[in-house]
Amino acid sequence: MALVELKNVSKSFTKGDETITPLDDVSLEIHEGEFVSLMGPSGTGKSTLLNLVSGIDRPDSGTIAVDGTEVTRLSRSKLADWRAANLGYIFQTHNLIPVLTAYENVELPTLLLKLSSSQRRERVELALEAVGLTDRADHYPRQLSGGQEQRVGIARAIVAHPKVVVADEPTGSLDTETSEQVQVLLQRLNRELNITLLMVTHDNNAASIASRQLTLDRGKFREPEEVVA
Amino acid sequence: MLTYVLKTLWRHRTRTLLTVSGAAVAMFVFCFVGSVQEGLTRLTSGADADRSLIVFQENRFCPTSSRLPEDYSRRIREVSGVRDVMPIQVWTNNCRASLDIVVFNGASPDQIQRTRPVELTSGSWSEFSSQRDAAIVGRNVAQRRGLTVGDQFSIGDISVKVAGIFSSSVPSEENLIYTSLEFLQYTRGLDAAGLVTQHEVLLSDDADPDVVASRIDEVLRAGPVATTTRRKGAFQASTLSDLIDLIGFAHWLGYACVGLVLSLVATTTVMSVQDRIKEYAVLQTIGVRPFRAMRLVLAESVILCLTGGVTGTLLATAALAVGGFAIGAEGATIAFRPSVSLLATGGIVSLLVGIVAGVAPAIQAATVPIVNALQEA
Repeated sequence: MALVELKNVSKSFTKGDETITPLDDVSLEIHEGEFVSLMGPSGTGKSTLLNLVSGIDRPDSGTIAVDGTEVTRLSRSKLADWRAANLGYIFQTHNLIPVLTAYENVELPTLLLKLSSSQRRERVELALEAVGLTDRADHYPRQLSGGQEQRVGIARAIVAHPKVVVADEPTGSLDTETSEQVQVLLQRLNRELNITLLMVTHDNNAASIASRQLTLDRGKFREPEEVVA
Repeated sequence: MLTYVLKTLWRHRTRTLLTVSGAAVAMFVFCFVGSVQEGLTRLTSGADADRSLIVFQENRFCPTSSRLPEDYSRRIREVSGVRDVMPIQVWTNNCRASLDIVVFNGASPDQIQRTRPVELTSGSWSEFSSQRDAAIVGRNVAQRRGLTVGDQFSIGDISVKVAGIFSSSVPSEENLIYTSLEFLQYTRGLDAAGLVTQHEVLLSDDADPDVVASRIDEVLRAGPVATTTRRKGAFQASTLSDLIDLIGFAHWLGYACVGLVLSLVATTTVMSVQDRIKEYAVLQTIGVRPFRAMRLVLAESVILCLTGGVTGTLLATAALAVGGFAIGAEGATIAFRPSVSLLATGGIVSLLVGIVAGVAPAIQAATVPIVNALQEA
């Protein structure tokens, strides 16, 4: 059974007089432990798809299920609970809370779960260790480099042990060297921790680290290419 | 999550400080206005105001113009329902409304000690009784004028030696200076031998104040000076009628202060949420429930309001306790005193205003369109 399952999902919106349909009756299955990259020209619905999978946007039609839970049927509050327990989101621009330290930023999702303070501490320390930022735990986002901020963002996305992690152009705002470091980190998290990843990217190199590459064009998937690891 | 709220407030500390200080000033004024109203209520409807009567010269209002025979007290004492009568000569430095009114009440020292709700905090009753020019001074007057036992205090043609300082369960008493009746009657300029300003009548437990008042006026009608007898509270309300109108108007000032705090905190909280709308979208993306986002904003506005409001309330309480403020006219005074109810009101109003001020921005944070907010630069 697929971990993430999209069935006949459509989404459109109007911009002025124009109706844009970024997703037109698309279906997709992602299995546990898979690392899927999603490419395509700007405005073709990659981020829209990511938002629908993460439940922060709703489709016009079709269904989306993650690990058997049909997220399209959940209320806004239930969706929040579901995201806290099941989904990690890596933003392009990190979106760390500026008044909180790296440790506190990573700790945030764990505050939403029923965990003891020692369990929380253990998870946060493991997540920071996984992204190699244990020594930056007390730093504020403004005291970190772009790459370090993104790594804190990744630690925040994995700290709650989610079933699936979505990443919206995680290397989009980084220089080449830092971008490669983040790619290696994502690949390692997928392989070593068996984290299921769905990543939107414009970068062919970043896409190439995924086990499956998909391309969206004019609201439809092009034939997926299986990549031999 | 409280850490997040506190750090957010600290991040914009100038804005936070300005809002808190604005709320503090407004609640300070609110409490001051409240204390004036409490003082007025105590003066006109306390036990002392209901269970004693004042016999005054008919159609006279200022103490300087009421001149009743001292021996009226003998005839009043014969009226059924009267427990005791105390002839009082009143002298005041100012018949108009004033914040520093000095009111002398001349009466028998024994009667003062026996019937007035006063307790000496320093000095002695025996000295007060034995020395002709001795006076006991209310705590508020002593505080305002810096008087201590042994001081000589002069105002106008009156000069007294402070024999004691007293406190009272009736706050307005603490704005009085008591001397012996004879001393005040024979003070130069008063020319009041055998005359008093008023008679204070203490009622027996079962007496109806209004019936006794009518009976006293009836009995004294045959005398040389006609009288009007009223409950002490009604007498004081009538004496202070101009001030009461002003105080009634001033309560709107109190409401305006609450409105000011509301708009100040609401504006700050709205600005704070609008500045961080993307942050709320991020929080909800990582799993913060909309209701929890709402609580975060409400916590922010309540902390602002409570910090400012409670600070203002405590400062007002301290100022009222230390300042010994009072306003008076025509010999009657309203004491501004701190009280537990005033403290509680300040705290509760601050809390409620904090909640109300946070509702609109809290709803904004909870219902933020997540995708649109995340796309904001």
